[in-house]
Amino acid sequence: MSEEILKALTQLFAIITKQDGGVTVNERQYVIRFFQQELDQASIQAYLERYDKYSGYSEKGPAHQLTIAAPSVKDSIVTLGICKKINRTLTQKQKVIVLIKLLELVGSDNKFTPQRMEIINTVSTVFNISAEEYKLIETFVVTTKMSDLDFTDILVVNAQPEKSAKKQKHIQTEIDGNLFFLKVPSVDLYFTQYLGDESHYLNGFVMQHNRIYLFSHGSTIKIQSGDALYYSDIIADFNEELQTTKLSFNATIDEYRFPNGTLGLKDVVVSEGPGKLIGIMGASGAGKTTLLNVLAGLEKPTKGEILINGYNIHARPDKIKGVVGYVAQDDLLIEELTVFENLYYNAKLCFAHLSETEIADRVQEVLENLGLETRKDLKVGSVLDKKISGGQRKRLNIALELIREPAILFLDEPTSGLSSRDSENVIDLLKELSLKGKLVFVIIHQPSSDIYKMFDKMIIMDTGGYPTYYGTPVEAVSYFKRATHQAHSNRGQCETCGNVNPEQIFNIIEAKVVDEYGQPTNKRKVTPMQWHDMFKSKFKVAALANEKEDPPQSLHIPSKIKQAVIFATRDLKAKISNRQYLLINLLEAPFLALILSVIIKYKSAPGGEEYLFRFNENLPAYLLMSIIVALFMGLTVSAEEIIRDRKILKRESFLNLSWNSYLVSKLGILFLLSAIQTLMFVMVGNFILEIKGMTLAFWFILFSASCMANVLGLNISSAFNSAVTVYVLIPLLLIPQMILSGVLFSFDKLHTAISNKEKVPFVADLMVSRWAYEALAVHQFVNNDYEKAFYPYEKEASIADYKSAYLADELLKQNQFALNHYQSDDDSISRKVGVALTIIKNGLSNELFKEGLEGKNLNTALTTQGYSKEFGQHFELYLTNFKKHYQNVYNEQVKTADLKMAFYEKEGFDLNKEKNNYYNESLADLVKNVNTKERLSVENNRPIQLIDPVFQTPNPIHPLDYRTGFFFPKKGFLGVQYSTYLFNSVAIWLMTVALYIMLYFELLRKLLKSTGKITFVNRK
Amino acid sequence: MAPLVIAETSETPNILMDKAQGKFQITGRSIIDNASNFYQPVVDWLKEYAKAPNSESLVSFKFEYLNIESSKSVLDLLTILEKINGASVIWYFNEEDEDMEEIGEELAELVTIPFKFEIYS
Repeated sequence: MSEEILKALTQLFAIITKQDGGVTVNERQYVIRFFQQELDQASIQAYLERYDKYSGYSEKGPAHQLTIAAPSVKDSIVTLGICKKINRTLTQKQKVIVLIKLLELVGSDNKFTPQRMEIINTVSTVFNISAEEYKLIETFVVTTKMSDLDFTDILVVNAQPEKSAKKQKHIQTEIDGNLFFLKVPSVDLYFTQYLGDESHYLNGFVMQHNRIYLFSHGSTIKIQSGDALYYSDIIADFNEELQTTKLSFNATIDEYRFPNGTLGLKDVVVSEGPGKLIGIMGASGAGKTTLLNVLAGLEKPTKGEILINGYNIHARPDKIKGVVGYVAQDDLLIEELTVFENLYYNAKLCFAHLSETEIADRVQEVLENLGLETRKDLKVGSVLDKKISGGQRKRLNIALELIREPAILFLDEPTSGLSSRDSENVIDLLKELSLKGKLVFVIIHQPSSDIYKMFDKMIIMDTGGYPTYYGTPVEAVSYFKRATHQAHSNRGQCETCGNVNPEQIFNIIEAKVVDEYGQPTNKRKVTPMQWHDMFKSKFKVAALANEKEDPPQSLHIPSKIKQAVIFATRDLKAKISNRQYLLINLLEAPFLALILSVIIKYKSAPGGEEYLFRFNENLPAYLLMSIIVALFMGLTVSAEEIIRDRKILKRESFLNLSWNSYLVSKLGILFLLSAIQTLMFVMVGNFILEIKGMTLAFWFILFSASCMANVLGLNISSAFNSAVTVYVLIPLLLIPQMILSGVLFSFDKLHTAISNKEKVPFVADLMVSRWAYEALAVHQFVNNDYEKAFYPYEKEASIADYKSAYLADELLKQNQFALNHYQSDDDSISRKVGVALTIIKNGLSNELFKEGLEGKNLNTALTTQGYSKEFGQHFELYLTNFKKHYQNVYNEQVKTADLKMAFYEKEGFDLNKEKNNYYNESLADLVKNVNTKERLSVENNRPIQLIDPVFQTPNPIHPLDYRTGFFFPKKGFLGVQYSTYLFNSVAIWLMTVALYIMLYFELLRKLLKSTGKITFVNRK
Repeated sequence: MAPLVIAETSETPNILMDKAQGKFQITGRSIIDNASNFYQPVVDWLKEYAKAPNSESLVSFKFEYLNIESSKSVLDLLTILEKINGASVIWYFNEEDEDMEEIGEELAELVTIPFKFEIYS
């Protein structure tokens, strides 16, 4: 108290006591005692003189006789002046205390005369204490008649079985006289007074008769009969909300082992009801966070169970959902959003039943309660780029949980890294919550005395997960002192200042054995196990009866679709507000397209004069690069998504939100981004390279590839723990896509295990790049505006050409061999004949031209047994006709195509120009495979056409056989033929769906987790 | 602004607040249990007046008797006047009524308005 206030108080005391007969000795004694508490010895005399002067006290004799009927109006005005002065400096709590001191002063001699009371009443009005509250306080101090104490804010402890007034609260216990408690609701202060003949101890000090004590946080009264009245119990009795909250929390953790088998917790029993603030303390490594996680249901105890209102937290998540809140030690904020938005979207996920304005109001209210309303429009910012202070971040983290008011709240070191003032604010807030009927568990590290005493119970853990104490905090100090036979063990707190030193506890627990030189050794005096045994023998945790009702829930989760929309808007907002992210992602695509296409655009015309699309030899490589860019962008944009949200997801897991909704929202945003990116890429690239009429078709394939990469990225993002790992993984995923795209390395020139001349190897079918590339190349070749007109003729011509020029010759050669050797006795030659005949049979399997073979059964004739010289010669004739027939077909098709060309020329089309614009020679060479040396190859006794894949038709072995050679224009499936473009698009999207299913069930994560359990045995 | 006039009774003072004439007077006995209710109209009037006060406002208090409750209200009035530029107080007291003089002196100490003391007989 400042000197000014003390002077004012002295004057106030004097004015009051001099009324109606003047100062009595007892009253003066009271004032002296007050000075002794507040002042140093030297100043007391000066203040006392001051008091005596104002009050007119004289040691020579009772001065009051001289000043009968003092001019009270004047005193009243002086009082007003003093009170106004006090109003400017003291808090409301302090003012209530001053008022009680004044009443106590008058009460010290029970001289409650009208003028004195009127002055005190004046003080109370100037202090802005309401009339009802003044009445309550006055009655508490003045009245001795029990029946007058008829207030809900008064609690009486006595031996009587019944309470003496209706509203009064009452506790029966073995006690002489009455112990009173008063709650001053406006300032939330509690006072106590004892009238009786026993000696009771308030915080270790005897309560004097008729004196009023402040019953502060963490106080304990030990009554003579041995019982103790704890602050939290008294508060609970006053708090009506607590009595209506139906909550029981019973945890019996016999044992908890970490996945690797080491012991995490042993024999922890926690049993609590509503309205408690429970602290968890312990040295580092004592298992505080483990305990919190197990209690919160994040980890399952190996042996034991956690029951909330009788429901097992793991077995009945439907009953428990929304009941538990968890604030982790790390930040769980979305850095790109403002303080308000962080809370707002969180609230929207919790309260589907509230309107927009109601939610906004609620957010506003929480912000005000936490003193964050002035910061509400600031971006949260990252830890490095701070926009709001550490304390504010912490409070916002807590606010995220507070807003939905879970019945049980778990907080992991909410005060770490905060200033002592901020810490106190945070704990104050939690205390207030507990007083509203919540059960709050807090891990606390090195609390100050004030904070320490605010807890209702303290759980103290020792190294290795052994509980060593579970009870009221102040008692803990006494317990450990007693256990080690220290002096003053019954006093937990300092005699004069009431401070508790929680560090003492750990000094005792972890005390080291001292060696003969007085140096502490590494050995502890009492091991954790010993402390634990001592604890078990001294304390019995009585399990609370399980409440029968369902635990209180305040959660109304929106429908899955709404959740997805909320997730998506929140995410979108965060992304938009991150300008760097947005710019890079939007500019990346056009920029890459620009440098790529500008670099590969050259004077390609045969004379080297100008750029002609037709002769651009870089087009095949450009298509591959486009796909790689699309995949790369798709991966990078998604790879960090889930990792970044993981902590937020952990918190939101208590809300039982839909994982599917979350993923859908992610995909929605990522797909949108991919769509924009690939569209910009295609538009810029195709414009510069003058690829005409392909924009939409190219875009859709690149977009599909990019979406597939998005989902793949989310998969690795959900499976791995750090962003670095994920980015390192990207090349691992991309390089195989390049190797097996079919462009850089031909599928028929791969390792023998996978190489296949006839069809695309199966491993390549797993590569999205191969599907995308084939779709792009085939579509560009078949459907460009020039080729479209001639493709059917060229196709027929190509087939006929192959048959007449290559197949016929091959079959003739095989037939000749059979003719020459079919009678040979040599086994190996005879076998070769068989092979030759099979090749012929296979080569003609789907042949329509059968002229001259009528009535011949090829299946029997083309075997070593059925073959004859006569047949062989006849067959040779057939093959010659076959060759001629197809030569004619070929000539016809070429002629038709020429006619068509001539027709177009006549119509005024410049076909050469069209071809320059739409047709690309390099790509045509690629899809026609003109560079191959052998046009036909025999694989597995089957002649395979290697030239012109783009003109071939698929030849499925069974309905499910979709496989064809690379660049086939069509794919068959279930008897229907689809265009390669359509089929490949579907293939890409099927892969995307498969990856999404993997993501939904987190298969990759589970796989990694199961392999993670394999430990390397360290052999010594 | 309409003047405020409250007629005197045996327990309440006569009150005249007139901006146009520049007259601000409270005269008589004030022995009221619920003084703040009685003085509320005066408080309201003065607050309104404070928005557009005369360049000079001379407020006279002439109490024959003042009880504790009333004294609180008087202090309230003075704290409003405090904020009006050009306001000053004349405190009348009877020659023989030393108490009333002292009350005036105490009040003068609590506020910053200039006080003049006048004796009447």
